[in-house]
Amino acid sequence: MSQVVFSSWGQNVVDNRRGGEADLASLKLKLPATYLDQGKIGAFMGWDGIVLLNKETDVVAMAAEYIQRVQEKYCCAKCSPGKRGTRVLQDTLARIVAGKGREADLETIEGLASLLENCKCTLCMTAAVPIFHSVKHFRDDYLAYIRGEKTAQPAKIYKEKLTAPCTDRCPAHIDIPAYVEELKDFRPDEALDTIRRNMPIPAVCGRVCPHPCEKACRRALVDEPVSIMVLKRVAADHEWMHHKQPPMLAKPSTEKKVMVVGAGPAGLTCAYYLALEGHKVKIIDMLSEPGGTVAVGIPDYRMPRHLLQRDADVIAALGIEIEYGVKLGRDVSLKQLKEQYDAVFLGTGAFKSKPMGVEGEDQGYDGFSTGGIHYLRAVALGEPIVTPKRVIVVGGGNTAIDCVRVALREGAEDSILVYRRTRKEMPAEPYEVDDAEEENVQFEFLRNPTRLVTENNKVVGVEVIKMELGEPDASGRRSPQPVPGSEYVIPCDLVIPAIGQDPDLSYLEDGDYGINQTRWNSIVTKGGTMMTDNAGVFAGGDCEYGAMTVVVAVGHGRRAAQAMNRYLMEGKAYITDDEILEDMLSNFGVFDKQENVGIAGGLHREHQPKIDGAERARNYEEIELAMPESQAAREASRCLRCYRVGMVALD
Amino acid sequence: MVNLKIDGKQVQVEHGATILAAAELVGSHIPTLCFLKKVSPTGACRVCVVEIEGVDKPMTACNTPVTEGMVVTTRSEKLATIRRQIVELLLVNHPLDCPVCDAAGECDLQNICYELDVVQQPFAAEDVNHETIDRWPLIQQVPNRCVMCEKCVKVCHETIGSSALSVNEKGDRAFIDKDLDKCEFCGNCVAVCPTGTMISKPFKFRARCWELTKVPSVCTACGCQCQVDLNVKGNTLFRVTAEDASTVNNGNLCVGGYFGHDYVHAEQRLETPQLRNGESLVDASWDDALTAVAERMQAVRKEFGSDALAGLGSPRLTNEEHYLFQKLFRAGVGSNNIDSEARFGAQRAATVLRNTLGLRGSSHPISHIGKADAVLVFGCDVTAEAPAVDWQIEEACRRNDGKLIVANMRKVKLSRHANVNLEYRPGSEVALANALCRLLLDFGLVDLQQLKNYVGNFDAMQAHLATIDVDAMVETTGLSRKLLEEVARELGAAGSVAVIFGADLTKAAQAEEATSAVANLALLTGALFSDAGGLFPIDEKGNMQGLLEMGVCPESFPGFQDYTASRATFEKLWQVTLPEAGRDALAILEGIEQGAIRFLYLAATNPLVSFPMAERWRKALDKVEFLVVQDILASELTAMADVILPGCSAFEKTGSVIALDSRVNCLSKGIDPVGEAREDWEILAELCQRLGGQSVCLDNSALLQEIRTMLPLYEGVCFAGDGHGQRCMKTPFQLQAGAALFTPLTATTGKDAGLQLLSGKILAHFGTTSTFAPSPLELAASGFVEMHADDARVLGVEDGTRLRIVSAAAEILAPVRISASVPPGLLFAPYHFADTAVQRLMPGVQNRVDVKVSRA
Repeated sequence: MSQVVFSSWGQNVVDNRRGGEADLASLKLKLPATYLDQGKIGAFMGWDGIVLLNKETDVVAMAAEYIQRVQEKYCCAKCSPGKRGTRVLQDTLARIVAGKGREADLETIEGLASLLENCKCTLCMTAAVPIFHSVKHFRDDYLAYIRGEKTAQPAKIYKEKLTAPCTDRCPAHIDIPAYVEELKDFRPDEALDTIRRNMPIPAVCGRVCPHPCEKACRRALVDEPVSIMVLKRVAADHEWMHHKQPPMLAKPSTEKKVMVVGAGPAGLTCAYYLALEGHKVKIIDMLSEPGGTVAVGIPDYRMPRHLLQRDADVIAALGIEIEYGVKLGRDVSLKQLKEQYDAVFLGTGAFKSKPMGVEGEDQGYDGFSTGGIHYLRAVALGEPIVTPKRVIVVGGGNTAIDCVRVALREGAEDSILVYRRTRKEMPAEPYEVDDAEEENVQFEFLRNPTRLVTENNKVVGVEVIKMELGEPDASGRRSPQPVPGSEYVIPCDLVIPAIGQDPDLSYLEDGDYGINQTRWNSIVTKGGTMMTDNAGVFAGGDCEYGAMTVVVAVGHGRRAAQAMNRYLMEGKAYITDDEILEDMLSNFGVFDKQENVGIAGGLHREHQPKIDGAERARNYEEIELAMPESQAAREASRCLRCYRVGMVALD
Repeated sequence: MVNLKIDGKQVQVEHGATILAAAELVGSHIPTLCFLKKVSPTGACRVCVVEIEGVDKPMTACNTPVTEGMVVTTRSEKLATIRRQIVELLLVNHPLDCPVCDAAGECDLQNICYELDVVQQPFAAEDVNHETIDRWPLIQQVPNRCVMCEKCVKVCHETIGSSALSVNEKGDRAFIDKDLDKCEFCGNCVAVCPTGTMISKPFKFRARCWELTKVPSVCTACGCQCQVDLNVKGNTLFRVTAEDASTVNNGNLCVGGYFGHDYVHAEQRLETPQLRNGESLVDASWDDALTAVAERMQAVRKEFGSDALAGLGSPRLTNEEHYLFQKLFRAGVGSNNIDSEARFGAQRAATVLRNTLGLRGSSHPISHIGKADAVLVFGCDVTAEAPAVDWQIEEACRRNDGKLIVANMRKVKLSRHANVNLEYRPGSEVALANALCRLLLDFGLVDLQQLKNYVGNFDAMQAHLATIDVDAMVETTGLSRKLLEEVARELGAAGSVAVIFGADLTKAAQAEEATSAVANLALLTGALFSDAGGLFPIDEKGNMQGLLEMGVCPESFPGFQDYTASRATFEKLWQVTLPEAGRDALAILEGIEQGAIRFLYLAATNPLVSFPMAERWRKALDKVEFLVVQDILASELTAMADVILPGCSAFEKTGSVIALDSRVNCLSKGIDPVGEAREDWEILAELCQRLGGQSVCLDNSALLQEIRTMLPLYEGVCFAGDGHGQRCMKTPFQLQAGAALFTPLTATTGKDAGLQLLSGKILAHFGTTSTFAPSPLELAASGFVEMHADDARVLGVEDGTRLRIVSAAAEILAPVRISASVPPGLLFAPYHFADTAVQRLMPGVQNRVDVKVSRA
């Protein structure tokens, strides 16, 4: 256990410099004791205070270094106290560390820290916090410098990173405050450039991202979160609606060849960043179009496929070859790919439906779908399937919701969702459940299927049992318990199980690739590099994580591309300081939902216009209409621009 | 509405209003530094912090919207300290060069220091400011004076739409940088700068602001006629500025308004009348010069008849001067041989619009463009021809979500903001408009009921639309059907549409057809029927509308009164006999060539540079027996004159002018005429007096009275007022039921293979006068020809190579500029410059000509 010498983090001062013990775990500080294998962390300094692990760490020297980096590398200069105030702080601290300080300087520092409360954003405002804490709690050290009794003992190395709660929470780590500000300033092209630095499918992620970022939005602590996802769509739509040519250009060719398996979000993203680096990238995909699960698993009324296609076209325009209808393990083996390419990325998704675990589901009955994802895919690809009058979909996730809504559009008169818990526990996005309800989807909550009811090998109903919610389980959700003897039959013509999907990794079975898998059938990668145990083979997205979100896949694809680039150019897959700190801060936590933001609120979140429920439920036209840019600017002006810098000192 | 309390005073404001706006209503003054009303709030300076009850932190008033029940305090000890400390920080390393700083006396930082009692400096830091930037033309940037308010960045991006400025670097080293390729040199960054950071180089060190007198007037560099203040001292015009609050242009100016005026004091200014004495011109007294002109006019009339005299007027003159010019010829010497450069563009477009829609100019004020849901800019580089119209488009399409369609054979600045660029094949305007009309109809996006009411030949319109083969039209334009369909849907779906067209179209050989096509499109898009948008013919010249209205053309008297129909009326009014007909500019040219016209009066116009067929004009001017040139600047034209009458710039005279959207404005005299020069109307009035004893009021306001009593159009128009004066709109345009005519047009095919050259206006120059102004010359010193890289490759020429360009009419030499603005096959050349004189290449009334190009 790593001992904490001093901590002022989280409005909680723990001072063990003169005795007393506390460790990181007891203080609930998820800070690692070491910085990968590069050294011990002596101290961490950031937006909320100071955590000192090694009492030898020179806090004053660190504070001077911290404020210098904030001022010279990150301060945007776009507000008066921030621009000049942090410069005065920097010079004052530098003077003290150089032994030329005066006691009055400490007052200046404290005064400025208070003045910086008035900054436009939180970057310089929060940067003043650890400086202020250092003067308050390490005053003797300052005085020792000022009296000439101490000379600077800088740490071996300092490493810092700029982050923001939303950026941190976004699996693709998009610089959200930057693009939101650019939209506020009527600069949609610049906003899109910013987004594309981390995410190359903005039309998609501007529409169907579950936007975890908005759960870490500090504006929500004041009134409502900023509509971060929709603002991304505004930037993406602007380029499309103005017929603008994307500005990206690939670097000169490296002559390295990379194979990306799967043209889903992970594969497209990985291919995009590799192509930008000048590598020759080819993508193969088993489907006949790009997008993977986004294309065939998300209905067009949520994600118009021509816009997905446009995102893919923009990516392919960097010189990427895409070959459709080629399946790994069937048409080509991983062994062949390894031989023909300098590196391989596996982004094969999760296309295997999980079984419901009910009697009769393996009998091949007519009227029993092999799974929600298959049903959606068949509809998306225009396969000749007929949706009957009464449809039951089992599950509570986004796929289940998509299935009930698609069934309505495919002609079902009754589209019924059966879920074993209540609406509150549904993993699907609440707004999608609302949307489904508006379209007259029926819900059977606290019901669990137990048996398929058939006649002549054809499903005529599902026997369900009533459930009750018990105590919360490990996931925090209350676990459903069957009510004995409460079974009854819901008549129907089609049952679609939408319980979840697993990756299909059968392509790893034709040879010994030495690629480890988890017990839930996903690929294991190492140390944040996304490289598997087989050097040169990388993996990301659903096949690596299990069925997850588009944005997780994008984050994987990008991280993999960075590591692959290093593998290709330097022969070693590793992650950089920026990525190490990105992971470290993610784990440490950047958003504090207890924070008192202390500003005026009362401004409601702007919503994009939406087509009426009854009107939309019979077609696949996009439901949500583009938010006008002036409205987007208004929404963007609600952003608090919660930038902050964290820095570690290594012994 | 939202109710709140500020400093104990209850106030009700609109939802979305800021605390600052609400405080203004109750008279609570909140200090600001970075706030600029006309752009989105920046919140940079933090000086406007206020306290809100129940809120821990002070909030900035400029960008915090009010909420119900808010209780705001704008003044307290705590706020005073914050504000003072912030300004103290701003002063860290701010140079103490106020004595030589151009902003001294009008510096917001000085003012706020005074207001907030900032009298000491407790802070210190190393000076890491970027060094002064001197390499930009016309504007100097002094970073250590910058308070990083971003007003310049915002006005450049949001209002002007050039987006040239940005913040570069981080922290205290940050400074405002500029992308010179995007800069339009409008000077608005200098105008909005609260300190001496952005400095006008031409004005620098020349005057202290408090010594200058501000004379409110209007700018006549283009037809937008922005309201300005002439900043004068002694008899020198030092700079031109504009106030945000009190002007139609919201304080914005363009390169012409802000920097383009320095021809006024150019060394080529004509200051004394001159008379030809053999090979040379010698100074003469006004009396001698006017006598020479009057006597010659009478003599020519006597010997050869009235038809031997002709005059060409100019859109540079005022309404009164236009009026006097036509009266001088008609009543003074009985000649109706008067015309102007309007013949080559504006007049042609105006005639079509009058005949088809009953329009006498634009259908609405330009402020209606800013409110439109969709804007179609057709054959017009608005940014160059009418910058203030561009700003309206920026407002409509970039800040207010309007759709922008730019249809032009070449790229213009607005192309970069357009939803759709229709870069059609040169000459295919009719095909493009036909296709759009048909698509609008096919998509059911035309209000047929409305059209049935307004369009007199509704059935013929429908019959014609039914014959349009969209695919054939699409083929002619060289565009895709999909793109045209998208445009039709956007224009059709818009609640209000502004249709704007300009020189690329109105100065073309087929200007009448193209204008008719635009008029058709205006009908089908409903542009004329809405509270926003409208139809806007653009002409680049300052008082072109006034010229058209005052009848400086053989076919009409002032007020658009038909010449033949109203001849008797004017004969009676003026007590003279008027000829049955007159010659237009082309007939005048031919008349000179044939020896029929022996006397030519050029009032503020230069056919050698401005007119198409300039080559023929050159020969004709050489040939004409007696040439009077009334102008302000010495040029090769004045060198050809028999008499030079030195007139005045718009800054030196009074009079009224009419903007392109029919606003009537009054000029104020900022300075007295230079040297012995006289206001043009005085010269013309004097000549009128001398000729046949025509009674002319030698007083501008009496003159106006004469105009008003004679012209039904001006009933109710009040010309009174000085300076910005009272803007007077004539009766607003109202389309009468059944009065509109749809013109069935057959599209001609586009241009043939081979190179063509298009002549036109560029942003930096305004007519020919600006080529005598040092500031615009710093941006564009001489003529050039833009060419696509593909064509340059074929010809084997590089940027700067001197070309020999030959047309059927003439041959010119000009350096080439490789440009992405023109498509392969099309060259573009600015017409302003005497050195290249590209208008010589035009064999007829046209702006586009087949050329052969080779290395010179």
